[in-house]
Amino acid sequence: MAAQRKKKKRADATGKKLEQQQKLVPIFIMGQRHLVPDSLTIQKAMEYAGYQLVRGCGCRGGICGACGTVFRLPDSYRVEVGLACQTVVKPNMYLAQIPFFPANKAVYDIEKLSPTGADVSKLYPEIFKCVGCNVCTKSCPMDIDVMEYMARAIRGDVAGVAELSFDCVMCGLCAARCPAELVQYNMAVLCRRLYARHIAPRAQHLAERVREIEKGKYERPLRALKSADIKDLKRLYKEREIEPEMAEEDWTPESNDYL
Amino acid sequence: MKLPYYPGCTLKDRTSQLETTALACAEKLDVQLEEMPNWTCCGGVYPVSETKIVNLVAPFRILKEVQEAGDDKLVTICDFCYNVLKRTNLIIREDSVKRTRLNLFLSDDDRRWAASGRRVGEGQEYDGGVKVLHYLEMLRDELGFEAVAAAVSKPLEDLKIAPYYGCNLLRPPLEMDLDDPEDPRIMEDFLGSMGAQVVEFPYRIECCGSFLSLSSPQIARRLCHTILESARKNGADAIMLSCPMCFYNLEQKQSEFARHFPGFRPMPVFFFSQLLALALGLDPASLGFERNFADPVPLLKEKHLV
Repeated sequence: MAAQRKKKKRADATGKKLEQQQKLVPIFIMGQRHLVPDSLTIQKAMEYAGYQLVRGCGCRGGICGACGTVFRLPDSYRVEVGLACQTVVKPNMYLAQIPFFPANKAVYDIEKLSPTGADVSKLYPEIFKCVGCNVCTKSCPMDIDVMEYMARAIRGDVAGVAELSFDCVMCGLCAARCPAELVQYNMAVLCRRLYARHIAPRAQHLAERVREIEKGKYERPLRALKSADIKDLKRLYKEREIEPEMAEEDWTPESNDYL
Repeated sequence: MKLPYYPGCTLKDRTSQLETTALACAEKLDVQLEEMPNWTCCGGVYPVSETKIVNLVAPFRILKEVQEAGDDKLVTICDFCYNVLKRTNLIIREDSVKRTRLNLFLSDDDRRWAASGRRVGEGQEYDGGVKVLHYLEMLRDELGFEAVAAAVSKPLEDLKIAPYYGCNLLRPPLEMDLDDPEDPRIMEDFLGSMGAQVVEFPYRIECCGSFLSLSSPQIARRLCHTILESARKNGADAIMLSCPMCFYNLEQKQSEFARHFPGFRPMPVFFFSQLLALALGLDPASLGFERNFADPVPLLKEKHLV
């Protein structure tokens, strides 16, 4: 018991110490004031404040686009945006997460489409409503020039849309704020698919690889592994070649039996 | 001579032959047209409502970015873009409320600057200082039709061409201020510089029906048929124009004319830049004639131009 008490005391002390080290700043989550450590991301700050995230939280790594967040700061008129998992809190920010925003998606058979402005505008005819206000670009947490790729779509440059929208995480903030009610990111994913299917050159080395595999390149090593006993498997696993952490770019393994 | 250039969407898609020929000619004439690094649609149509300021944002930004890049002229080829950009520029110069509001609206375009890798222009105001030039106007005023004439290697001597202006180049006249709105000469003089025979006809400044070809096709069809037949009756081999919309109505839509006007014979329609390219001796196979409904090649063969 005494040992446990001691342990708890120590834990409390470290907690307090942490809090002393951490500067707490006020933030407003959907209007309610919370004090949170100033080093936290919006996402962690929400959890720190007691929220349990069941929507609007995915990869926590800035890739999935589930945690689009809008916020304002007291000394500016601007609407700021960020991914909750990537954006560090700022004192006195007012924020709300937009975990989902409705956006219609065209249904199509990619094989039956051509990578042309005509086909894109058949599926998303409303793109011509764009007035070039640029709010989409200002609303993009990935720093994509959304208006520019919409401009490319309007002029039928499918490859241009694919290239410019490549970093899109589909968070939907552009569509949420568009005064022309467009669904930029759904239109863009159509263009990226069109690009991949109809414009990008087919990967020759992939076809080559598939042929090699079909010819049985890995038959023997695979069979050997399947018939090995557990001791051998463990040894093989431990002895396997691993790329060193600080390897040069041109590092290659000595044996490519399994590659 | 180096000039910034705004292509417009249609020239990148449906009438790319207008752009490719115009750019090839510019190169031949030693004019470097440099496409703006970033640009959006100009809006296509100038807003009719005086209070609708939002439609001015896109053309305003285009003009502003020309000035930010340190230029004071902008060349366009499409008549619609020319009309929108020129009128927007004028309203910026003359209407201080619109000027202030548009400048305010675009005063925080910083993410665009960041995306384009530039920081120029932040906080800069646009005052309407850019001069918007149509390609034909650039030939007339910047280069001079004499210089065009001097560069012609294959005069279009036997070709009888009816120049067709349509609306957007000339109207509204006080705002466009390109030429005499009732008796324009720019196309005639341009044709003269290439040695072509100019056919004057009474419908050269009439409207082709414009977007009516989508909402009331029968009206646009009637207007276009009248224009084509008038040119023919006055002895024209072909029509020359500069507007992608007029080209659509007067050329591409000829495919439907035989059905509605018995006895109709297709008539070749040229973009001005295609004729210029011919006269400058560019390869006729590269001028996009395969996209015409009324094939102009037999006519050009007859006149020994291909």
